[in-house]
Amino acid sequence: MDLILLAISAIFVNNILLAQYLGNCPFLGVSKKLSTSLGMGAAVIFVATLASIFTWLVYHHVLVPLELKYIQTLIFILIIASLVQFVEIFLKRFSKALYNALGIYLPLITTNCAVMGIALLNIKHEFGFWQMLVFSISSAAGFTLAILLFASIRERLFISHVPQFMKGSAIALVTAGIMSLSFMGFSGMVN
Amino acid sequence: MSRFLSVLVHGFWKDLPPFRLVLGLCPALAVTASANNGMGMGLSVTFVLIFSNLTISLLRNIIPDKVRIASYIVIIATLVVLVEMLLQAYFFGLSQQLGIYIPLIVVNCIILGRAEAFAARNPAFLSAVDGFSVGLGFTFSLTVVGSIREIIGAGTWFGIPLTGPDFEPFAFMVKAPGAFICLGLILGLMNAYGRWRGENVIQ
Amino acid sequence: MRDIAKLVLVLGLICGISAGSLATVRTQLADRIEQQNDLFVRGPALELLLQQPAQDILSNKLVIESPEGSAMIFYTMESGEVNGLAIETIGKGGYGGDIALMLGVNLQSNQLLGLEIIKHQETPGIGAQIEKTAFRNQWSKKPANDPVRLIADGGTIDGISGATYSTKAVMDGTQKALSTYLNSKDRISELIEQANSTDKPIE
Repeated sequence: MDLILLAISAIFVNNILLAQYLGNCPFLGVSKKLSTSLGMGAAVIFVATLASIFTWLVYHHVLVPLELKYIQTLIFILIIASLVQFVEIFLKRFSKALYNALGIYLPLITTNCAVMGIALLNIKHEFGFWQMLVFSISSAAGFTLAILLFASIRERLFISHVPQFMKGSAIALVTAGIMSLSFMGFSGMVN
Repeated sequence: MSRFLSVLVHGFWKDLPPFRLVLGLCPALAVTASANNGMGMGLSVTFVLIFSNLTISLLRNIIPDKVRIASYIVIIATLVVLVEMLLQAYFFGLSQQLGIYIPLIVVNCIILGRAEAFAARNPAFLSAVDGFSVGLGFTFSLTVVGSIREIIGAGTWFGIPLTGPDFEPFAFMVKAPGAFICLGLILGLMNAYGRWRGENVIQ
Repeated sequence: MRDIAKLVLVLGLICGISAGSLATVRTQLADRIEQQNDLFVRGPALELLLQQPAQDILSNKLVIESPEGSAMIFYTMESGEVNGLAIETIGKGGYGGDIALMLGVNLQSNQLLGLEIIKHQETPGIGAQIEKTAFRNQWSKKPANDPVRLIADGGTIDGISGATYSTKAVMDGTQKALSTYLNSKDRISELIEQANSTDKPIE
């Protein structure tokens, strides 16, 4: 039951993008079309989950016993970067279809604050293994939800009358703000 | 000399992050609930930028192409851990306020972006200046956004109360939606100003 | 072959220098960071319990190992005699996780000075009410020899309705602090004597 609450909270109440500001660069860059957003979202869920598992394991079984907590940042980013490389090579070799669908987004995900952010949050919240797993998948799913909703809105925006100076990223940000506002409505949901 | 000058000032308008150089949005939204935090984050990023640009530029002919990105990441991450420790030791309050956004400097696209775009192909001194310029421009942006959000959203500036007790703070501004909308409107205004001067709109 | 060797060498060197510099900075700054941490996280609680500026108390620190775990103890002295203790322990079983709390003991009157909550992740409005003075005041002036228990367990502490886990964790932490104090009184005095005669820090 707690895990379900954790999941709902991660997707809606503390949406990784709209409430915790993580994952903005791809958000604005990739969300112009619904199909690319879906690809990015899927890639993020995949990488974020794997990355969380590996970083959590390394933190708890290597860094803490060896009193090396302070280089957490360095180790985490190296894990994420290597993971993305491996996943790319793996997909290229074993699943051409999946590689073509996700391929271009994978390198972008290395510098995606959402992935690194979720890994760091797992540690900050002192999650156990299963909590970490649920939190990571849900947060990434929340990102995907936000980016899909956003892409649909943006496709409409593109054909609407927007003042010249607000076109592009400016109106996108304001739209994101309004979305964020609507997601705030979920805040009473848990408890 | 003119090259030096152009590198020195480009970070302050032409490539001002995060507005004209649309990178580094995560911290711009996350830590600008107060001017103090915005400035603190900006200066931390500037520190990392200057030294990462410097180091990468010095090593640009030694690092083989295949391990380029990996090396950049190690160098940048090392500097970020350094900043983390320095902040904890000398500015503990700030480090608590900025929280996980300090380690997130390592994925701040600005730093890797400038490394690839400038430091990898320019001499050390100019690269350091580029880091300085873009970093300070970023600091300026963050401080301004932070000030706006803090003044309207909490009635203070750098913690100094500016308004009387009857002022009802527009708390929306210091929360997530306010951040997005504030940034969007500022970007819109900058576009308007840019168009008035005949430049192109930022997409 | 030569290329791969170069790759490995360069990357290895960069990682090596990075690790080396970070470890060096870490050893230089570790003490200061810990001190800053204590000042910010425990300072306010220490001042409230022991009625002295945190700066003065922070250097009077010991760590006691006991079957229940390790406890941090801060002490105050007056005319060469130890007159107050602040014992920090972790109460397990809170709704949102462990609760770090601090128990103050007045050694002259052998009564509790009070309870301060250092860190918790309880639900705002429900479990977080353990922070309220109305709840925590119940700890003041209790005799240090008697176990402190909830009314439901035969004691005198009124719990918070709807916050069973949070209250239980606070009681757990209190028990641990009290038993550490009662069982290790001699060890504590011994360590304090040692600290003051040799002027060396104790761990």
